[in-house]
Amino acid sequence: MSCTVIAFGELHGIFAWLHELPVSIGLPDSVQAVVMYAALGVTVFSVLSLFALFLVWWERKIAAHIQQRFGPMRVGWHGWYQTVMDALKLLQKEDIRIETRDKVVFFWAPVVCFVAAFLAYVVMPFGKGLIVADLNIGILYIMAVTTFTVIALLMAGWGSNNKYALLGGMRSAAQVVSYEIPMVVSLLTIIIYVGSLSMVDIVESQSGWFFNWFIFRVPFGPIAFVTYIIAAIAEANRTPFDIPEAEQELVAGYNIEYSGMKFAMFFLAEFVNMFTVSAIAATVFLGGWNGPFLPSWVWFMGKTLTVVLLLMLVRWTYPRLRVDQLMEFAWKFLVPVTFANLILAGVLKYLGYWE
Amino acid sequence: MGLIDHIRNLLKGLGIAGKHLGRHAITIQYPEERMEMPERSRGIVVLLSDKETGELNCTACELCMRACPTAAIKIVTHRDENKKKHLDVFEVDNGLCCFCGLCEEACNFSALKMATKYEFSTLGADELVWDVNKLQEVGRDVDYVDTRKKKKPKPEPKADAKPTAPKPEKTDAKPKPEQPATVSEPVNPAGSSTEEKVNEEPLPEEQERKEEKKEGGPTDGSV
Repeated sequence: MSCTVIAFGELHGIFAWLHELPVSIGLPDSVQAVVMYAALGVTVFSVLSLFALFLVWWERKIAAHIQQRFGPMRVGWHGWYQTVMDALKLLQKEDIRIETRDKVVFFWAPVVCFVAAFLAYVVMPFGKGLIVADLNIGILYIMAVTTFTVIALLMAGWGSNNKYALLGGMRSAAQVVSYEIPMVVSLLTIIIYVGSLSMVDIVESQSGWFFNWFIFRVPFGPIAFVTYIIAAIAEANRTPFDIPEAEQELVAGYNIEYSGMKFAMFFLAEFVNMFTVSAIAATVFLGGWNGPFLPSWVWFMGKTLTVVLLLMLVRWTYPRLRVDQLMEFAWKFLVPVTFANLILAGVLKYLGYWE
Repeated sequence: MGLIDHIRNLLKGLGIAGKHLGRHAITIQYPEERMEMPERSRGIVVLLSDKETGELNCTACELCMRACPTAAIKIVTHRDENKKKHLDVFEVDNGLCCFCGLCEEACNFSALKMATKYEFSTLGADELVWDVNKLQEVGRDVDYVDTRKKKKPKPEPKADAKPTAPKPEKTDAKPKPEQPATVSEPVNPAGSSTEEKVNEEPLPEEQERKEEKKEGGPTDGSV
């Protein structure tokens, strides 16, 4: 296993203690690694679940205040643990399984969706040294595993044996496959300047002040950022591009037959996906953990939440696109623009713009 | 050019959403704070009491019952030996009430009003039927303009001047000093008094028939 846990950054004390714990207990080496990776996995998983719950609450508050309402106000200060209570409620609810479902597919779809949403965090640099595994194909790995979501949505649509659910799943497949291309090409524009796919390398090559961030430093960086954000919104199935779950057309889309915790898994996965695309934007375009004075993970979280706020603003501002408009926008506008962007950036790099 | 315009418009929309994000909410948190209802908004039907004596203003004329399109108001009366009507039952079924305000318009004695209050949720539908005591209690603090003919200050000289018929009644019906004056006065100068007369005259025969006539009542009364 070439990928190992490296430095621990500002939280060194805690992590070093946790790292030493299995050694001091006296576990054999083979068990040590298993225990350590399990502990890391549980940590990342629980932190992200809490973050997803927080994002649900935050989204509701933002939506409410854009529409000049209050949003959740009852449970705690300004309803801060409303979503925790909602999740607990969904846990206890009856799991309704329709008779005509495809049993295996219906059961595994939320699991795949949930797991795929969390897979990207294996290579996500939360801070200096705060990364589970620094794969040398980091960004490619993220692109690969986030696409699992579309399989899950298609499985949910098929397994429900419901025409609306199937339509939602099919739309999701068409949409995600279309928007995957501009998304990857936007990131490639940056990657040709870094020369590495590793997330840590990407962040470290933009160390320094904000003018070293790739959005400002790379030629056509802002255009790449905008095209990435647009494609990312479509990847995360959020509102201007949320045709897989368009309420007015498809009732609820792919998750129409799901209830209880299975529904909650889809719901949380959606918000984890939103956090993922924001984190990628923060890492690749906005300098990741780099920043003065504050600890690196604070900078990372701050930048990510800023991008999340932007996504939320976009969601509550713009109306949903029609299916044909969505496809036209992807293939007739985004793909040419991103490819032109990539070619121009590559030419500039070849002509020696970089260093 | 078109593309740039589109982008500018999209950004403008985003800016408006962001501007609204900074504003304070215009909704209110209901149980903690309540809306200031407009003075003439139509809420719960209440029975009004006399400002001085605290007695009900109702004269049991049943005009409101006849005006009610959904038959939410139920009135049962009886006549004493002086043919003076007394209120036995006055019930409003708030589950039937459609808040049209016709009862308030029909009332000539400032006896009934649609207050600005609006909170009467209960656990059961039967609890929505309010009797006379409840209606009076709810209406205690409701402010209203007393449009009744001010017989109270004037009557003393008038009652002296006008001799015969009303006198015995007045002595009998002490708790409601207003009603004898309006009911028994032969000529009532109020414009709406003709309606009241129409209602009063056929009544002596049967009281039960009126309850049955509830639906057809308003047309009878007004035409």
